[in-house]
Amino acid sequence: MTQTTFEEAARSILSGDADAAAAIAKQGLEQGIDPLRLINEGFIPGINEVGDQFGAGRLFIPQLMLSARAMEQATEIINAAFPQQEGIAQGKIVIATVEGDVHDIGKTIVATLFKANGFEVIDLGRDVPTARIIEAAETNNVDIIGTSTLLTTTMTVQKDLEEALKEAGLRDKYKTIVGGAPVTKRWADRIGADAYANDALDGVRVAKELLKGR
Amino acid sequence: MSAKIRTRMGDGELVAMSPSEIREDIAVGTRDAAGKAGIPELTDEEQERLYEIIADPSRIVSVAPGDEVIVTDDGVPGSLYCGQDDSGAGIPMSRGQATLTYERACAADTVSLGHSDYSFKPVKNVISEETNAYYNISMGTTAPFIYGAQPNLGSYYQPDGPVRNPADLLLGGDVKAAQEAQEEAAEKMRQDILFCGRKLNDVGCEGLNLDTSASGGDADFMGTLQVVSELKEEAPGMPVIVGASGEFVLGMHGEVTFNDKQLAGMYPHDQVKVAEEAGVSIYGVAIGTSTNESLAWNVARSVTFTKAAVSAANIPIHVNVGMGVGGVPMCEVPPVDALTRATKSLVELGKADGL
Repeated sequence: MTQTTFEEAARSILSGDADAAAAIAKQGLEQGIDPLRLINEGFIPGINEVGDQFGAGRLFIPQLMLSARAMEQATEIINAAFPQQEGIAQGKIVIATVEGDVHDIGKTIVATLFKANGFEVIDLGRDVPTARIIEAAETNNVDIIGTSTLLTTTMTVQKDLEEALKEAGLRDKYKTIVGGAPVTKRWADRIGADAYANDALDGVRVAKELLKGR
Repeated sequence: MSAKIRTRMGDGELVAMSPSEIREDIAVGTRDAAGKAGIPELTDEEQERLYEIIADPSRIVSVAPGDEVIVTDDGVPGSLYCGQDDSGAGIPMSRGQATLTYERACAADTVSLGHSDYSFKPVKNVISEETNAYYNISMGTTAPFIYGAQPNLGSYYQPDGPVRNPADLLLGGDVKAAQEAQEEAAEKMRQDILFCGRKLNDVGCEGLNLDTSASGGDADFMGTLQVVSELKEEAPGMPVIVGASGEFVLGMHGEVTFNDKQLAGMYPHDQVKVAEEAGVSIYGVAIGTSTNESLAWNVARSVTFTKAAVSAANIPIHVNVGMGVGGVPMCEVPPVDALTRATKSLVELGKADGL
């Protein structure tokens, strides 16, 4: 029975059916399945499969968005089943495409998958000045600052962010993740960012890793 | 211990790799392309030849005399007169002088003209200046003279354009409205390109380049193919080049079609077939470079996609080999060692008709 519920949960995410995802989440809890197992063994394999199919070009952005919303619905219901303060909230992240760069398709996909994986996301959009990113991080008391850039000419803004955080005495307060087509792990190391993410799914994995043991 | 070979990563960084590491990256790169697109991997013989090209100790490499291919440029005249912020040389010269300098001093195979904003939407507003400039310069050119701009569906979305932004609509969960917005924008884009194409044809345009098509996803590609069909009906003597923006058509809409074929998720060997049906004269395959992988991995991947596209095509394939595409590293000035290895491999093994 439990295995069947897990499979149905994954299928509801893959098909982007938010109503089905919510119903299965409720049904699973009523069956007495541990909420953590329900999310980790049922719904997360579903959203991971969505990410893989999207990366391979077999599933497209509208379906990705529907799947992400279905995941959010299920997560919300399961979260409510946890005792107070023990929900599966992963952390809070502010995300933006850096100043001078108007490309935001990739960043939007990242934001969507973060939300689908239980993160609270403050998406500032594109062409966002460094000062505004820091201000949003402070105002919202986030755990992570994530920046994206598609251009070699705007990569340097990610370095500016690191410098600005240091100057403001805030560098150790936040974890920073950098991404975007020209960005590499070597670049992240060079500018002093905490992590590099290769794509949206990798970003979620890296963020969870960074926040372990908080 | 075998000697290390000096090569590059996809961001241009110099690295030293062993022969077995390079061979492994070639095998993994071709497998990646083949697996994604459902096309054949490079044969063992081709992979070994690719290894020889990558591992060649010469700084630059080239194809054998007689095997050279046509090189169409990507705004070289503009690179002469625009400033450093746009990777230009900042030389005080006019568009005409720059075009003729490129043609005559650099022995260009083709030359080109493009508006500094390089999208059809702004070009429409100044089309009479563009057509006049094109006409005057064409009086002095000998090589094929191409006018280029990007379809750029994104320029029609708010805040840059009049149509509701589908990214915002999708985030709000309104898939239907997001799809309708893309269809509306694609129609506006189609009308603008048609308008500009007609005007350019009137002044004897020798080639129209719809550059970086599908950058806004499948609806962008649909509008591009639709307008090519119309232009080929109205102006059959004006060749139309379509360049891609990536190896697969991003499914921003997910359901648009051309001649009943779904465009989202199309890889180069399928892209070129719909391009042919639309009447495209030359198709520019574009394969993204991964900055995290080696030159060997990236070139193997690009050659695999190119070979399949060339094999499927009845029209010439000119592969994009600029910064960050075609296996060329993504850095401001792509290193010549990596650039020439990519181009030689694409021509020799991928059988590209041009670059």
